[in-house]
Amino acid sequence: MSISSPERDALQFKSALVVGVGGLGCPVALALAEAGVGRIVLCDDDWVDTTNLHRQILFAEADVGSHKLDAAERALYRAGARPHSIELVRSRFLPENARELSRSVDVVIEGADNFATKFLCADACFLERRAVIHGAAVRLSATVLSVAPEGAPCYRCLFEDLPTGASAPNCAEAGVLGPVVGLAGAIMADRALSALLGDRSAFGSLVSYDGKTDRAREVSLLARAHCALCSSESSIHEITYQRYTAPSCAA
Amino acid sequence: MATVRIPTPLRTLTGGEDQVQAVGDTVKDVIENLEKNHPGIRERLLDEKGVRRFVNIYVGDEDIRFLDGLSTALKATDEISIVPAIAGG
Repeated sequence: MSISSPERDALQFKSALVVGVGGLGCPVALALAEAGVGRIVLCDDDWVDTTNLHRQILFAEADVGSHKLDAAERALYRAGARPHSIELVRSRFLPENARELSRSVDVVIEGADNFATKFLCADACFLERRAVIHGAAVRLSATVLSVAPEGAPCYRCLFEDLPTGASAPNCAEAGVLGPVVGLAGAIMADRALSALLGDRSAFGSLVSYDGKTDRAREVSLLARAHCALCSSESSIHEITYQRYTAPSCAA
Repeated sequence: MATVRIPTPLRTLTGGEDQVQAVGDTVKDVIENLEKNHPGIRERLLDEKGVRRFVNIYVGDEDIRFLDGLSTALKATDEISIVPAIAGG
């Protein structure tokens, strides 16, 4: 999308939460800051490692050992971005802070590396009626799902619940290719900016990208009739720890 | 013969191929045919209740949940896409 001068003015008064400042969160944060989003909240608890550098574009070799949020903040200002505020939440996105963090912004962009956080983010955003952009990338594949504040469809309409047991996707074998996460992050940022500017056209759409064939496809999802989160038969009305206890993905 | 697009996490079962051909009149038939040539793939897609909850299967651009599920009839030119939940970045 292109951003007009009035839209840039409007973005000054908007806010966004980036959950996970990794391969996806880095390009998202940069794009939002450069577009003029006024308040950006970054949430991560990790430190920069040399293995991050090929895909986490806000970090350089000199940042290795620094907290990711400190390095990201420096990089955003170094790039010339001037949001009114960059807030650093040195924590994982957890059941105890999920709703408050989601409620504090206009849009949430989730690029977490584990399913528990993805479902937690989906639930918190629906309960707080916040738009959320979910992104994921493994090896050569990436997906981006845009969800309206009222869901229908939401992440649980697509994937129901956390993968469990031996048949869950084996993330430990997966790697992540820098250009693929960069592309996914760019799409996520585009969808987030659209949402902030009141464009609802991407809500409910799932973009799947395959880096091997360089093909992307976008499908419009339908709400799941018995979705546990956003249907009239919903059973999720609060955030409880027990719901998010599946093992983390090693990717 | 339908074309099945294989997502990255399942390509270990197809020798690295990103798309394979399979025969069948329905999605279920195609999965059974895939299993013959790529053992293990059925378990990654289905459980005792049907399509696993963290997998979505599309015929063209249509999610089979909103067609006839595993009984969705196929044409020879149909392309089937498998979209699993992934987490990473």
